Amino acid sequence: MFGYITPDKPDLKIKEFEVFRGYYCGVCRAIAKRAGHRGRFILSYDTAFLALLLDSLNSSPVSGKPGRCPVHPLKKRFIVNYSDVLEFSSDINILLAYYNLKDKWQDERKLFSPIGLFSLRRGYKRVKKKHPDLVRDIEKGLSALNELECGRCGQMDEASEPFAGIMKKVFEYSAECDSAKKTLGWIGYNLGKWIYLLDAYDDIEDNIKRGAYNPLVIQFQYGENENIESFRQRVKKEVEFILVYSLSEMEKAFSLLDVKKNHGILENIIYRGLLIKTRQVLEMGAGCDEKPL
Amino acid sequence: MRNPYEVLGLKDGASIEEVKKAYRELVKKYHPDRYMDNPLSELAEEKLREINEAYDYIIKNAGNGQRQSYQRRQNTGTSGFTGSYQHDSQMVYRIKMLIQNGNFTQAQQLLDSMQVRDSSWHYLQGLLFLRRGWYDRANVLLRRAVDMEPNNMEYREALNRVSNQYYGYRHNPYYHGSGYRQSPDMCSICTTLWCADSLCECCGGDLIGCC
Repeated sequence: MFGYITPDKPDLKIKEFEVFRGYYCGVCRAIAKRAGHRGRFILSYDTAFLALLLDSLNSSPVSGKPGRCPVHPLKKRFIVNYSDVLEFSSDINILLAYYNLKDKWQDERKLFSPIGLFSLRRGYKRVKKKHPDLVRDIEKGLSALNELECGRCGQMDEASEPFAGIMKKVFEYSAECDSAKKTLGWIGYNLGKWIYLLDAYDDIEDNIKRGAYNPLVIQFQYGENENIESFRQRVKKEVEFILVYSLSEMEKAFSLLDVKKNHGILENIIYRGLLIKTRQVLEMGAGCDEKPL
Repeated sequence: MRNPYEVLGLKDGASIEEVKKAYRELVKKYHPDRYMDNPLSELAEEKLREINEAYDYIIKNAGNGQRQSYQRRQNTGTSGFTGSYQHDSQMVYRIKMLIQNGNFTQAQQLLDSMQVRDSSWHYLQGLLFLRRGWYDRANVLLRRAVDMEPNNMEYREALNRVSNQYYGYRHNPYYHGSGYRQSPDMCSICTTLWCADSLCECCGGDLIGCC
C-alpha cells in the first residue's frame, strides 16, 4: 500500500501516539513472524490503520507490553500483543506488498524486485492458503485494474473503481454482522478511492516524464508542451473535490460504526490526518515519503 | 435494551441538560438529510431510532413529561424524495425507487433505455452515481441537470447537498478546532507590524517609535 493514512501527530496525546505506534510495531512484528525479518521493510501505515480500526471494534481493552525489536534495539517500546486482527492486517500487508513488487518487476524491471519477491513468496503462499476467497477477489480486482490501465482509462471514477473494490473486500472481510460488513465495506471503498487518486495526483510528474499511465493525465488532456506544475494546478480543484468527498462519505460510514475504544486516535486520523495528507499532496506533492515511526 | 446513557455516549446519571445536549448533537449527526445520498441510510435510520428510544426512556423516567423526541416532530421513516412523487412520470418514479432501495443494476438498465437525455435523466444518473461512489461523474451530471432546468428546486437541492457535504467535512470542527496550525508565527507577526509601521509613516504618523 502507500502509507497515506497517517494521524496528525502534534494533535495526538502522547498516550494515544504510543498506542498507535504499538499497533504499527505489532503489525511489523506479525509480518516478521510470517514472512521473515526481511519482510519488515514492507510495513505500511495503512495496514497499521487497518489493525487499529478492526481491533477498536472489540470491547476488550488494548493489550500489549513494552518490548524490543531488531529495528530499534536500544529502547523498549509498547507493542500490541499478537491477535487475529494483527495477523489479518499483516497478511494483507504481505499480500499487497507482494503484488506491488510483482507489478514493479513487470513494469520497470527494477533489480531489487526479484529479491523482495523471493523473500515474500513464502508468506504470500501461506496467506493464499488461509484466505483463498479474499485472494481470489483481490486478484480479480487487480486484473480489472490492469485492463483499465492497458485500455488507458481516462475517467477518475472508473479508474479508481477496482482498487476501491479491493479495499472494500479487505475491510469487510472479517466483519461479524451484516451492518458492520456494509459499514466497513463503505469505509474501505472510499479509502481505496482516496488512496488511488491521491497517489495518481502525487505521481503526475513522474508518470508524465516516464510516459506511464495516469488517469488524470488522460482525463484532463495534458498537452505536449504544457508545464507540469501548471497542469497540476489546473486539475487540482476537480481532484480535490473527489478526494474530499470520498473522505466525507467514509466519515459518515465511520460514524455508524460501533467503535469500542481508541476513539481519540481514530477521530484524529479521520477528521484531521487524512485531510492534512490530502492538502500536503495537493499543495506540495510530497506525500509518499513514508518514514518509520 | 442497551443502557440508554451509553447509547447517547454519556456516563450513567448524567444531568437532563447533558442528555438534551448530547441528543441534539446525535440527531444532527445521524439526521436522514445527511445520509440521503449514502448507501448506509438505513443503518443511520436505525441508529437514530435507537437514540430516540434512549432519549425517550431517560426523559420519561426523569418524570417531567417532556417527551418531544425527534421522531414525534418529524417522521423519519421515509427519507428522500417523498415530496415530489406526484409530479413524476411513471419511469422517473420507478428509477427513483430503485435507487433508493439500492437496486443499482436495474436502475442503470432503465436509465440506459431512456431515449431522451433530458434534465431528469441527468439528475437520476447523477443520483445513481453518487450512491455508487462515482462522485466526479455525479457532480458533473447534477450540475448539468441544474443548468438545464434552473428552476427545479429538487435538482438544486441535490446539488446543494453535495457541496454542503464537501464543505462540511473539509471545514469540520475537529480540523479547525485546535488552532495551532492557523495561529500566526513570530515571523509573520513581525512582518505585519513592520508593514503597519511603514503605512503609518507614509501618512505622517508612527507606530513603532524606534524605526
